[in-house]
Amino acid sequence: MRKPRARSLGFGLLAAGYVFAVFWVFTRSEPVVASRPVTIRIAHWQIEKGPPDGVDAVIRRYEELNPRVKVEQVLVPGRVYNQWMRTNLVGGTGADLIEYGVWLDGLTDIPARYFEPITDEMLRPNPYNRGTALEKVPWVQTFTDGLLNQRVNAPDPGQFYAATVTEVSERLFCNRDLLRKITGSDRPPRNFAELRALFQKVADYAARTGEPIYTLAGARDNAAWLMQYLMGGAMMQSSQRNDRHGTLSLYTWDEIGLYLEGRWSYRSPEAKAGLTMMREISMSMKPGFLQSLRDAATQEFLRGDAVFIFAGTWDGTSIRSLSTFPIDVLRFPQPTRDDPVMGPYFFGAFADGGGGTAMEFYLNKQSPHKAEAIDFLHFLTSVEGNQLFTDHSGWLPSVREVKVPADIEAYKTPLDCYSFGAEYMLMGSTVSEAIYRNLYLLTDTHGSVDQFVDAIEREMPAAARADLGKEVSNRAITVRPQDVRIVANAALGWRAPQDASLQVARERLESSQTQSEALMLQLGRQLAIAGPAR
Amino acid sequence: MSGVSAPLPQWRCWFGAGLCCVLLPLARAATPVSDGTTEAWQFMANQLPRDAYARLGRIKGAPTREQALASAVVAVDYQPVTQDRLHDAEAAFAQLAQGDDEVADAAAYMQARLYQVHFQQPDYIRAAALYRALAERHPASHWAQLGLVKLGLLELYTLPEPAAPADRIAAAMALLGRIHEEKLQRDLHLQIAHAGTFYEQPLDLVLAHLKEVDRIGGLVGQVPEDLAIELGELSLRAGHYADARKYFEIYLRDFTPNLRSVTVRRRLEDLAVLEAKAKEGRP
Repeated sequence: MRKPRARSLGFGLLAAGYVFAVFWVFTRSEPVVASRPVTIRIAHWQIEKGPPDGVDAVIRRYEELNPRVKVEQVLVPGRVYNQWMRTNLVGGTGADLIEYGVWLDGLTDIPARYFEPITDEMLRPNPYNRGTALEKVPWVQTFTDGLLNQRVNAPDPGQFYAATVTEVSERLFCNRDLLRKITGSDRPPRNFAELRALFQKVADYAARTGEPIYTLAGARDNAAWLMQYLMGGAMMQSSQRNDRHGTLSLYTWDEIGLYLEGRWSYRSPEAKAGLTMMREISMSMKPGFLQSLRDAATQEFLRGDAVFIFAGTWDGTSIRSLSTFPIDVLRFPQPTRDDPVMGPYFFGAFADGGGGTAMEFYLNKQSPHKAEAIDFLHFLTSVEGNQLFTDHSGWLPSVREVKVPADIEAYKTPLDCYSFGAEYMLMGSTVSEAIYRNLYLLTDTHGSVDQFVDAIEREMPAAARADLGKEVSNRAITVRPQDVRIVANAALGWRAPQDASLQVARERLESSQTQSEALMLQLGRQLAIAGPAR
Repeated sequence: MSGVSAPLPQWRCWFGAGLCCVLLPLARAATPVSDGTTEAWQFMANQLPRDAYARLGRIKGAPTREQALASAVVAVDYQPVTQDRLHDAEAAFAQLAQGDDEVADAAAYMQARLYQVHFQQPDYIRAAALYRALAERHPASHWAQLGLVKLGLLELYTLPEPAAPADRIAAAMALLGRIHEEKLQRDLHLQIAHAGTFYEQPLDLVLAHLKEVDRIGGLVGQVPEDLAIELGELSLRAGHYADARKYFEIYLRDFTPNLRSVTVRRRLEDLAVLEAKAKEGRP
């Protein structure tokens, strides 16, 4: 009698164990081996409110569509981004897709060394746009600006290197309550003359009430954006005079080379007009603002200590979601033809942000999963993917046919203003450093336009040579490995003469290499003619 | 509808066997030879010189001329690139260039490239001499043709003689007649035009070259957009108003609108004023 009971107990325990195991497997456990064999990483520094949520939403949907692939978003703070990027790329541990900007200090060699062109892909339709109006449109033409900025900044003029995720501009964010409290009206200034009048009203209000209120929230970053904008506008006629190639725009290396040829300087009346306006605006910011970074300006504005903040739309989601007062988004009031400072050099309304697209992602040359990385980039910049990004980030889309939510419509730059590409601020990292180093002479209460001009003109000859020299080195970094690829494509063609794509690839490489090389030699000639700095 | 098929006639069997004998070698010939060299070239084409270097190292026996070329080429981009390694590569290129095949022409071209862009201290005169020698020896070779384009760049910007800008441009233009590959002609036309604006040469000379670039076409990246605007703007400055209008309108029609379109529209307004003045016979 004991034996059957023991057997029953054993079977019972076995059955219970089996049921528990089934329950555990279906409800709790994780697979011993990852269910997604491929993991790709996308790295960027946009850790403001918005973009991480936008990219997460895109990743979730992409992973639904692609069960093989896991996508990890790597968020790197801007303060350490440069070091992080270089260290990882040198060590071969960089993410598969990496955000990069041509203005990042000391990193101008990175694209040529570590990023791979995606020209062939750019010339074919984005597969994720199937069933949309962009189904048959080449990928590059699906972007609202046709990737203008990325083409202009590509290390190799005959190649495409990056895809962008958002459109950016700069706007004046206004604390409507504070404006009404000070002026008795909601009506913002419509031109620079009205803004000047407002400077005075705000100063009077602060003096009368003892409240530390300023017209504009100030920080080094915001001041730099403002100066770029003002100088671009003030120098418009000068830029056009110097456009000898007839491209109706100047590249950064054009600006530097033209400086070395003595065709413009900060002593020119146009430049001084732009600097005078910059100084005028600086006087309506908190003294010593150059010591702070953009977060401090945002906090100043959110505390209600400034009527406006001039910021990029990249700060828009943070500013609007954290504020306790109603915010209006305005375009910066522009000087008119009769402006006493800028009037003589007036060309027309100038661009506040350029309407270009940004947050550009590059393909890491060393990525072990290039096909999957490109595929994710396709989805991120498809109509569906970019709509998800826009809806979850509060940032503008970069792709045509994506619907822009009404609350960020004001971020868009309509085609109603001029831009000549030249900014006279971010021409190269050495020149920019020199400008930042001396900017206090322009914005400080005891400074002046002339003090700044004298100081910067002392440093510019050497700084411009250094930056032009870097341009030459960077072109060489691009050009040299192309020889290897050209011969390799030719040799593959000897073995498979029926494969026309090899000939196309070789011809394209040869052409883009010749363009880069010619530019490198031309810049070298400019440097040689300029001679050493005196 | 019989379920059993009749046996094949004997002639069909023989025919089938014969066909196999003929087609199999053909199929084999059509398949790329996989001796490791192809893979190495593929790695180089994909910017993976380290893998190419490793693959070439595994090839057994005496290297063929093509393998020797591949080994020298990969050394040019295998990091860290040292001057010693480049000099070794140059010796290999120089030896291979003695032959009379495509490998020889590619090697001769690469030898010139070392002097132009790879050595720490470029020697433009030596590079130019090597390009000229290659073009004399095998003028129809693709490598000689490409070398003439590179020689053109040296003439435009770096060679000590001729020194005057107009003479530099004339020297580069003289090379155009020796280049028969249209795409390479286009690339040199573009660079002659850009040198022309850089040296502020007559606009009609520049425009003639830009129009050739436009006629041949096929460029990608930023250049096509810049080209349309350059043709419009330089035509306007040269007083060729009809051409200016044509190219500005092509730009507005064919390219994604951006802020440069605003300036182009304004230039079309300026152009309308100039055209009206020209009609009235005013300067």
